[in-house]
Amino acid sequence: MQSPLVTEALFHLGPVPITAPVAVTWGILAVLGGGAFVATRRLKLVPGRGQALLETIVATIDAQIRDTMQADPAPYRALIGGIFLFVLTANWVSLIPGLEPPTAHIETDAALALIVFAATIGYGIKARGLVGYLKTFAEPTWVMIPLNVVEQITRTFSLVVRLFGNIMSGVFVIGIILSLAGLLVPIPLMALDLLTGAVQAYIFAVLATVFIGAAVSEGEAPAPRRDSLQKER
Amino acid sequence: MTIDWWTLALQAINVLVLLYILSRFLFRPVVAMMAERQAAATRDLDAARAARAAAEAEQAKATAETAVISAARKDRLDAATAEAQAQKDALLATARAEAEALRAAAATDIARARATAAREDADRASRLAVDIAARLLARVPAALQVSAFIDDLAAGVAALPEASRAALVAAEGPLRLKAPRPLTDPEVRACRDQLAAALGRDVTLTLEVEPALIAGLQLDAPHAVVRNTFRADLDRILKELTRHGTRHGT
Repeated sequence: MQSPLVTEALFHLGPVPITAPVAVTWGILAVLGGGAFVATRRLKLVPGRGQALLETIVATIDAQIRDTMQADPAPYRALIGGIFLFVLTANWVSLIPGLEPPTAHIETDAALALIVFAATIGYGIKARGLVGYLKTFAEPTWVMIPLNVVEQITRTFSLVVRLFGNIMSGVFVIGIILSLAGLLVPIPLMALDLLTGAVQAYIFAVLATVFIGAAVSEGEAPAPRRDSLQKER
Repeated sequence: MTIDWWTLALQAINVLVLLYILSRFLFRPVVAMMAERQAAATRDLDAARAARAAAEAEQAKATAETAVISAARKDRLDAATAEAQAQKDALLATARAEAEALRAAAATDIARARATAAREDADRASRLAVDIAARLLARVPAALQVSAFIDDLAAGVAALPEASRAALVAAEGPLRLKAPRPLTDPEVRACRDQLAAALGRDVTLTLEVEPALIAGLQLDAPHAVVRNTFRADLDRILKELTRHGTRHGT
């Protein structure tokens, strides 16, 4: 019996195997990109219901970033908001019969985590400079360098495993129950999967925000800011 | 469990592409629209503030103008009131003066009318008295109406001024003798005798009856008249009385 964790190639583009997660991701990309393009074609000063929903989503993402990072959300909006929307959509793809969430495969989660990892390093270097960013690994003392390096790797790895484990387990549980029981029995578990998918998307986005925020805020010397805020109060 | 590196790489590319697409076609337009709305709201707020400031300035200006107009109105009202008061005082003074003049004129007229009435009353009373006296004297007995006056007639002729008396003496023709009743012969003779004695010549008389004489005799000559009658006396008294009355009246 073949392991369910193994992804079979649907077809090959030259030497490149195209697996189901990649195909589903292309679908998600088409739906989200096309939907965004259509939805934002006729924006007006006085918004309709659809525009109001879009603006609410964007404003909520901005507020979340601002609350977490205590900074202007504009530079991080596309990354955090895009990751959240993609992970949420990918998790909810399981509602469509015959499709598996791309996030139930570790390659997708690893790709997302690598992007967050790279973004963290990139934003950190941008905020503090290369030397300044590297110096953060020696805080509070140089003894901590190995631990900080390991922390960078492990927290990225935890991102991968957390998302992968939650979504994959949901898919497995539903598949097992569906094979053992009837057609309608897994419905409560699918509803639970919806909740789990939303929570995991939120957690992934918030953790990405926290990681990037930590790299950036260290560069912006948060302690004096806090003092100045207290003085202002 | 194995990791398909091709899938990992493709998924990373897919996610990056999706992030770009969402950034380009979702977040950027929506945020731009929100910023535009915020800018429009700010613009409208600024315009509203400016309009409000302008309205407040206009209101302040209007209030100031109202105050100026009120002050000018008060000044004009005060001036008009003062002018009206002055005109009123002048009119009152004029009216008082006119009333005083009218009153004085009326008093003068009244006094004049009163004096005239008094004079007229006095005249009427004098005439009434003369009439009463004439009526009373008319009751004198007929014998006395002539005889008692003959001597006085002669005395009157004698008392004439010399020129008149000479003219009377030189007059030719009969003298006209008026009496209140027809004279008796003795009376005619007595009259002729007395006159002849007074004139120093014979006298021819023409007798005339004039009841208005009441009593007495009147001798008419071409150049002189000698009256010795009650009528002549009464006329003289009346003349004297009315002359006095006129003096009193004026």
